[in-house]
Amino acid sequence: MYDIATDHAGGLTAAFLLLLFVFAFVGGLRLMAGHGAVWAIRGSQTYRGTTSITKLAAALMMLSGGIHLALVPGHDDITGLLFVIDGLGFIGLGFLAFITTWWRRPAILWLVATILAYLVWVIAGWETPDQVGIACKLIELVALGLLMRLANPTRRTWPRRVWRATAFPLMVCVTTLGIWVGGLVHPDALHAHAGALLQPVAAVATPEQQAAAAQLLADTRASIARYQDPAAAIAAGFKPGPASSAEPLRHFENSANANAVLDPNRPQALVYAQTTHGLQLIGAMYQMKRAGQWGPDPGGPLTQWHQHEGICFSPFGFEFSFETPFWTCPVGSTSITTPPMLHVWIIDNGKNGPFAADLDKTVQRQLTGRS
Amino acid sequence: MHRAESIDDSASEIASVLVVMQASLSLVAGLSALPFAIVEPGFRILGILTILLASAMFWLARNLRRGRRWAWRWLVALELLSLALTVLLSLLPIGAIRGPVPVLVNLVIPVAVLVLLAGARSDARRAA
Repeated sequence: MYDIATDHAGGLTAAFLLLLFVFAFVGGLRLMAGHGAVWAIRGSQTYRGTTSITKLAAALMMLSGGIHLALVPGHDDITGLLFVIDGLGFIGLGFLAFITTWWRRPAILWLVATILAYLVWVIAGWETPDQVGIACKLIELVALGLLMRLANPTRRTWPRRVWRATAFPLMVCVTTLGIWVGGLVHPDALHAHAGALLQPVAAVATPEQQAAAAQLLADTRASIARYQDPAAAIAAGFKPGPASSAEPLRHFENSANANAVLDPNRPQALVYAQTTHGLQLIGAMYQMKRAGQWGPDPGGPLTQWHQHEGICFSPFGFEFSFETPFWTCPVGSTSITTPPMLHVWIIDNGKNGPFAADLDKTVQRQLTGRS
Repeated sequence: MHRAESIDDSASEIASVLVVMQASLSLVAGLSALPFAIVEPGFRILGILTILLASAMFWLARNLRRGRRWAWRWLVALELLSLALTVLLSLLPIGAIRGPVPVLVNLVIPVAVLVLLAGARSDARRAA
């Protein structure tokens, strides 16, 4: 669900180069101090006299600043200008951490303002949450947590204690929820719904592609007609997936067909609907072997593959939820990304069509009584 | 608690911030699983377990800052377990680790906490 935006990839390179630069700078400072350069000795002493928490917080703020500056070329509107201000602010505050005593509060304000501004941008749809942006927020949150630990409270009243204990976790929770809401409210064009990433395809199908799609549908329908009875499918090597009260569709998979590629005679799975009269065959599912390996799409935009990602899958029964933007799942479940798949619905799938990622809600309700 | 039995302040302070970060992320993961429990009953248990684990991690972070050795031991065990599971899952072809965010959250932060905890202990031994 959260990829790396093309215009954000430079941010990762910048982060790596900045880390190398910081290590080289500190090493160079020590080397020059060893050779007796007065400014280097003074700088080295200042660095050594700074606490580890301050050093780490300053380094993280500079890292975030570097990433913001590296992202400016991909943002030529007001966002780009804000990235410049933000980046310079972080780098400036990072340096001030070593030479002033008043830098902590401005740095906290800067971090909180940056994180909240990101949430506003994401929820408003002005920025798509991607892994570079989320990683940057993670870095800023850790820096914020460190700065909050640097506080030297003079008044130890209970409200202040409670605030000190809850402010940072609260900020982490708000950030996670904000990014999540933004991602779900404004999914990009390639996300059919939360968790399903569509194969990039052309906008319009050619007459040849339309004919090929119709042929694939006809071939699939003819091939799987022999499995109307689930017992026939089981006899042919298809294994029924676990029954779930939450999922009205059941997939019967055949591992012997794992190496076949879009072969109507050897689909990877059959899809049955749990109707009041028992299981009814409603389609087949073709699947590739590895995540990210899109299959052939003879029908162009009509036969668009999709893969499910960002799912927390629990092996205790067939159960799942969505992972958080920070890639965390509940205990006992793990994040998974499925290999790309293409459904072929042999029943009338309403407005979604015969190759849609999902069964049409109205059709599903009519079949199973549940949506 | 004797000073010799406590652990180094700055390393444990940084480690405790990272543990609070992990606990907060777990808390959100646990809370987010609860709505799914309406249709996936198993997630009710997993969600509650996750929230309990997050609460325990907040408690451990607090006691790590106070120099409690038992908190140190529990955190080392938890981080090692989490790291081992992450490495195991990353070896499976399920796309569990894809991109910088899962690497930072599931690998870099646990390793950083372990390194800080190890550093805190060796500093405490030197102080003793």
